[in-house]
Amino acid sequence: MGELETAQFSALVVVGLLVFFYGGTFLISTRIGKKEENADGYMTAGNNIGFGISAASMTATWIWASSMYASATSGYTYGISGPIHYGLWGALMILFIYPFGKRIRAVAPKAHTLAEVMYARHGRSSQLMLAGSNIVGSLISLMSNFIAGGVLISMLSPFTFTQGVFAVAAGVLLYTLWSGFRASVLTDFVQVVAMLGAVAVIVPFIFLAADFPAAFETGAGNLTAEQGNFFSSTAFMEQGAPYIAAVLAYAIGNQTIAQRLFAVKASLIKPTFLTATVGYGAMVIGVGMLGVLALYLGYEPVGGDVNNIIPGMAAEYLPPVLLALFFVMIVGALSSTADSDLAALSSIMMADVYGQNVAGKEKANPRTMLLVGRITMVVATAAAVAFASLQLNILDLLVFVGALWGALVFPVLASFYWDKVTGKAFTTSVVAALAVFLPVRFGWIPVDGLFGIVVDVLSVVGIGVVLGLMVFGFFGAKAAKIVGVAAVVVSAPFAVGSLHEYATLCGSLVAYSVSTIVCWAMSARHREGFDFALIAQRTGDFDDGDSAAAAGADAAAPAAPAADGDPEPAGTGTK
Amino acid sequence: MTTAALTAYVLMWPVLVAVVLFVISRGFFREWAEARRDGRDLI
Repeated sequence: MGELETAQFSALVVVGLLVFFYGGTFLISTRIGKKEENADGYMTAGNNIGFGISAASMTATWIWASSMYASATSGYTYGISGPIHYGLWGALMILFIYPFGKRIRAVAPKAHTLAEVMYARHGRSSQLMLAGSNIVGSLISLMSNFIAGGVLISMLSPFTFTQGVFAVAAGVLLYTLWSGFRASVLTDFVQVVAMLGAVAVIVPFIFLAADFPAAFETGAGNLTAEQGNFFSSTAFMEQGAPYIAAVLAYAIGNQTIAQRLFAVKASLIKPTFLTATVGYGAMVIGVGMLGVLALYLGYEPVGGDVNNIIPGMAAEYLPPVLLALFFVMIVGALSSTADSDLAALSSIMMADVYGQNVAGKEKANPRTMLLVGRITMVVATAAAVAFASLQLNILDLLVFVGALWGALVFPVLASFYWDKVTGKAFTTSVVAALAVFLPVRFGWIPVDGLFGIVVDVLSVVGIGVVLGLMVFGFFGAKAAKIVGVAAVVVSAPFAVGSLHEYATLCGSLVAYSVSTIVCWAMSARHREGFDFALIAQRTGDFDDGDSAAAAGADAAAPAAPAADGDPEPAGTGTK
Repeated sequence: MTTAALTAYVLMWPVLVAVVLFVISRGFFREWAEARRDGRDLI
């Protein structure tokens, strides 16, 4: 990224802002700190969080620094509909996830990670696929947020990028290390107040300072016809549609979301997700409007880098006090996601690696679990700081992880509703989906011939799968099949023969379709069903009396690992 | 879009953000007060 020509803050001011922000969040975290933390509290805060904190935390976690930069970039690139095609679809995905969330909590009320539930449902292979993808995804996200912090600090102060990365990493680790997820969600509230408050003030201020609404007329000539069209097909095909497909996968596959799903009171899942939907959408679209304003103004981002639109607009139009508020907003956004990533990584290592695979559920020592969690946070922070200096292509890495999660969506969701899904079907379908995704997304095979038609057909099926899954959560299987088939029939005439030109969109869609087709084909002929009640017995607390109760239930149920180290697979039920 | 419509389109989001901020804050402080009244931890 380029740098602004002059630093906007002195070193003293930036240090003061960082000390104020991270010192404040650290002090807040000490209010809930306990000398002897509970291992389950460290992962899910006792499955009993109220509406205010959980809605704030869900909103804060879903918003990261890249969300704001990307939304503004979308507005700058695609015009007035651009922020909608970034923010609205991301927001609606939170909404579409909540019915699945209610089902997941009903099946596994005391779980800590989705991977842990997959272990109880299918065994080790599916668990490690989900846990592995989560570790990679969270590390990339952590690295990305550290990079965003380093860039921001280097742009607005005399400090270097590396100094900025270290400052942000140390600050996040400081307040998250001791109390884990509990500290993460509590500080999320403060961070989301800072973020939402900043947007509510900064966007109108820049609007007026940049001479809007008059600039809508004087700057109209800076927009192309597509950019000025609210129903731009270019914006939908290049930004909206790939994002619709991708974020469903992110919401299902990302442990940071699952962790909050397991933490909130079960009765508050719906209002929490609804509030987070509106909060995320309004915040991200609102910031994206800065990109639209920049487009009308004919603004040229520093170095031609669109990631400089937001900092550049802020530096140009905001007075020092509001620029400081802007700085806190970005630091809050990246810190809230980074602490969630740390909490997610520690939970996976505690529950999935140590708890389920190293010690075993009944022998897991809560103190050792906490140690594993804290060591994980330190190691993950060090790794993310090291990776940040390598300047890897974050977008490519995220696309890969997104596709991996896309391949997991149908097998994971089906595993919560359909008793016929087997571990073998789960694993095979995910591997097959990835085998098709890779050549499509990265153009390893030319798509101008027969392969292109095959990709188009699979992508059309993928459209049906995505829309069908969205409808299924709210209205059930019958409505989902009708919508899915209708989507295929309606989109096929337009898509077959041309859709393969959009590699990003097709990559996600084929991941959905192939995993769905293979998983369905391998499961439909399976005769025995799975008893979902076993999942609640096989997952549960590690660290209190409930653990003993769960262990007692485990003893009654066939939860002991089979010869291959997995719990009994589908077929142990009575159906 | 007309200038008035564009203005409303841009500025409706900060307003919506402010409403969400109010809803979340009200929920938080109510739960905080309840926790204090009951003598238990907020989280």
